[in-house]
Amino acid sequence: MASTPLSSDSKHGGHSHIINPWVLFFNMLWLMFLLVITFIASEFDFGNVIINNVVAMLIATVKAVFVIWIFMGVMHASKLAKIWVVTGFGVLFLMFGILGDYATRQYEPVSGWETNVPNNGGSAFPREWPPQKKPEQVGENFRPRG
Amino acid sequence: MSAIPADPNVTAVSATPRTETNYLNADWSIKSWLLTGDHKRIGILYLVTVSFFFFLGSIAAGLIRYELTAPAGFILESETYNKVFSAHGIIMVFLFLIVAIPAILGNFLLPLMIGARDMAFPRLNLLSWYLFMIGGACIMGGMINGGVDSGWTFYVPYSSMYANSNVTMVLTGIFIAGFSSITTGINFIVTTHKMRAPGMTWFRLPLMVWALYATGVVIILGTPVVAVTLLCIIFERVFHLPIFSAELGGDPVLFQHLFWFYSHPAVYIMILPAFGVQSELIANFARKRVFGYHLIAFSSLAIAGLGFLVWGHHMFISSESMYQGVVFSLISFLVAIPSAIKVFNWTATLYKGNIRLQTPMIYALGFIGLFTIGGLTGLFLGCLGTDVHLTNTYFIVAHFHYVMVGGAVTAFLGGLHYWWPKMTGRLYPESIAKWNAVLVFIGFNLTFFPQFIVGFMGMPRRYHYYYFAPEFQPYHIMSTLGSTVLALSFIIPGLYLTRSLTKGAKASANPWGAHGLEWETSSPPPTSNFLQIPVVLDEVYDFDPVTEHEQDKAAQALEVPSYLSNEAKSIESEKEKR
Amino acid sequence: MAAIASDHGHGHGHDEALHHQFEDMEQQNDSYIVGMWTFLVTEVMFFGALFLIYTLYRSMYQLDFYLAHKVLDTRMGMINTFVLLFSSFTVAMSVRFAQLQNRMGVLAMLGITQICAGTFMVIKYFEYQEKFGHHLYPGPGFGSSPSYLNGASPNFAQLYFGLYFGMTGLHGLHVLIGMIVIGYLMAKWWRNSPMVTKDYIPTELVGLYWHFVDLVWIFLFPLMYLMPKP
Repeated sequence: MASTPLSSDSKHGGHSHIINPWVLFFNMLWLMFLLVITFIASEFDFGNVIINNVVAMLIATVKAVFVIWIFMGVMHASKLAKIWVVTGFGVLFLMFGILGDYATRQYEPVSGWETNVPNNGGSAFPREWPPQKKPEQVGENFRPRG
Repeated sequence: MSAIPADPNVTAVSATPRTETNYLNADWSIKSWLLTGDHKRIGILYLVTVSFFFFLGSIAAGLIRYELTAPAGFILESETYNKVFSAHGIIMVFLFLIVAIPAILGNFLLPLMIGARDMAFPRLNLLSWYLFMIGGACIMGGMINGGVDSGWTFYVPYSSMYANSNVTMVLTGIFIAGFSSITTGINFIVTTHKMRAPGMTWFRLPLMVWALYATGVVIILGTPVVAVTLLCIIFERVFHLPIFSAELGGDPVLFQHLFWFYSHPAVYIMILPAFGVQSELIANFARKRVFGYHLIAFSSLAIAGLGFLVWGHHMFISSESMYQGVVFSLISFLVAIPSAIKVFNWTATLYKGNIRLQTPMIYALGFIGLFTIGGLTGLFLGCLGTDVHLTNTYFIVAHFHYVMVGGAVTAFLGGLHYWWPKMTGRLYPESIAKWNAVLVFIGFNLTFFPQFIVGFMGMPRRYHYYYFAPEFQPYHIMSTLGSTVLALSFIIPGLYLTRSLTKGAKASANPWGAHGLEWETSSPPPTSNFLQIPVVLDEVYDFDPVTEHEQDKAAQALEVPSYLSNEAKSIESEKEKR
Repeated sequence: MAAIASDHGHGHGHDEALHHQFEDMEQQNDSYIVGMWTFLVTEVMFFGALFLIYTLYRSMYQLDFYLAHKVLDTRMGMINTFVLLFSSFTVAMSVRFAQLQNRMGVLAMLGITQICAGTFMVIKYFEYQEKFGHHLYPGPGFGSSPSYLNGASPNFAQLYFGLYFGMTGLHGLHVLIGMIVIGYLMAKWWRNSPMVTKDYIPTELVGLYWHFVDLVWIFLFPLMYLMPKP
């Protein structure tokens, strides 16, 4: 049963990697260039509002990737840090699944079910309208509330 | 690196000398407690405060139960009732369940179990307790100052526009308590990744550590979402920033989406560590290797992952799209798979084990049954058709109490008894504790089983009367009776555990004959946990039930059960000292 | 205590920055980096929820959001983005100087970062002041100068400005917290505290936080200021 007495992931290190300042500088220039591109792209019509939005977000994502990869040093970080970065954005992406609710609501087959109209055709079940009244049941301990 | 060269599972149990200085008596001043970085002391601080909040939440629960014994209620006005059930929910969820097992047992045990001197960030750990206290004080302040009547879910637009109660203050408290939870989660994750003793590979970890790690992941990814969602309500109430205002075109359902995106995973924050405790208890008291170690470990992670994909099942009737409802219903059923894996594996562990029916084991066996009922009734609610009938009834109340009280609280009590000798260095009285564990089981079932029936018959939740249906009364009376028994069975451990602090027999390092690093240091452990950082050479659950059973039989012939021998020895040595 | 304290005295002799719970500096540094990244993940989720709300409302009320956003000053937003990108560069440089243990370099770079952060906040202040002056803060008096709404529906414009103030406000709060933390770090460097001079990690962690603040703004700027015409 006995195996190596060293923890499996105690070896990787390498956080002390010193990044070349020119890399940082050119990264900054590149990000500023992308910023100008963002501005120009927002003025330019690609033909469709969806495409325009997607282009703007794509450029922002590229910028974000460069900030994360170079400025935040993920390039030289441990695997664990990389996994966390991916997990974080992955779950964020997952949360945007909430929008799926709003995107699919319009395709519901039972349009108008929420209105109190008898036999509205779209409803899954025909409803009795008005509902049959039951004789009011009053408990022994009934006490009117103020 | 300093290390014990020998196999600790064999030698260290007896080799570790009893140190006179431990984390409890190292320094007696109040300052040393309030400014401590020691994870064990922080665990104890949490234990004291969380017990206090549990007491308050229980009082609110008692008020709810007594109100409902009569069809028209008899002690609370409707508005007071709303405030009482809100207080019960908020205190129990945010100040007890989310904190109880992770912050008390998790804080205390995680570094001990992996052979570390402390958490990775002791000061952050202390900060988390202070944030918890500030959050708790805000919530309490809001409740004393008039209460809050929006329920623990704070659905908009009621909470953002119409509620005249102290919603803002209570939400601020929850927001702050959320950050306490986040700091705990960060600590768990980093500690598990980076602080393991040499030789403690991932698959030698106790299952409790896996569970706490999964809990940490859920906390990290979920809590900020609810924090910002509740912050939006605060914005709306205080700064008039309309975010969910329906009258301006905002969407209140979006609040529910975001709220449940956290609050569904939050139930896994409550139950996952309970699974961890459960695995430890079952393995130790069945004296057997946990059946399917890898499956239990990965099912914790699977639950943590799937937990983020099912939030919509709380919103089947909240005008959610039916297509998304179908998807959420399907994924909700999938959660049953990893949960069932755990339950089956625990049951399989019992098979041919050398079972010892001591207090923690009684709680653990109760857990299996209660959690199974709670989980299976969850399938009724995850099913689109039946949910329409059952949602917002007492059926749902019974369901989540079976999981939360029958699961999390039972596991918490079992774990507290199991690790009590390690935490305090004292033994609790076994016989009374055993009977009390049975009492918890009886009281619990008497309280919540009738609620399934009355809920199925149509009793709505959050109503303070039911004069429209007096036939519900017997069930409510049964439930109230059970809650009285349950309250009693929560008070009794409080009394005998407190008494054992001074009167209890001194515990040996390993009173249960359990395996695991936390039992290889003295009870209570020294401030730095281990005199020398241990080297782990073997997996944690290497029990041998067959040999132990034979030894037990031989010992029974001598009328001293072997598992009590350590305890008996320590009592004898006590007598000799006197 | 003596018996306990003596046994983990290993490594303390030469590393003043090593905390008692760690074996060596590598373990400590790794732990801090991983801890910071886990924290940043929570921050991602924190802002992510707000971005989600914004995405939903903007897709619902595209035209009104477009009309309402016109009142924002793109020039100021651009300047602010440049300032933040530049400050990200200086923070990255300060981390580099910390690794090289160049005290004056770190102080200079962090000082420039503080100036950038201050500039950002001042510009933000003038922007906010202008919006308040135009009655564009949500609430009872909203839209009492309708000309600034550019024809957007006051209700939906109010949603837009609610999110604008909420999101940029929270971002501004993060900038303020960043300024305080950087100030604290500078004080530590100024006093030659071994906590920072022997170990570059505190500087690195503050740097990570500051980059995250920059990251949020990278998305906020195009979303708030540069909307395409629907």
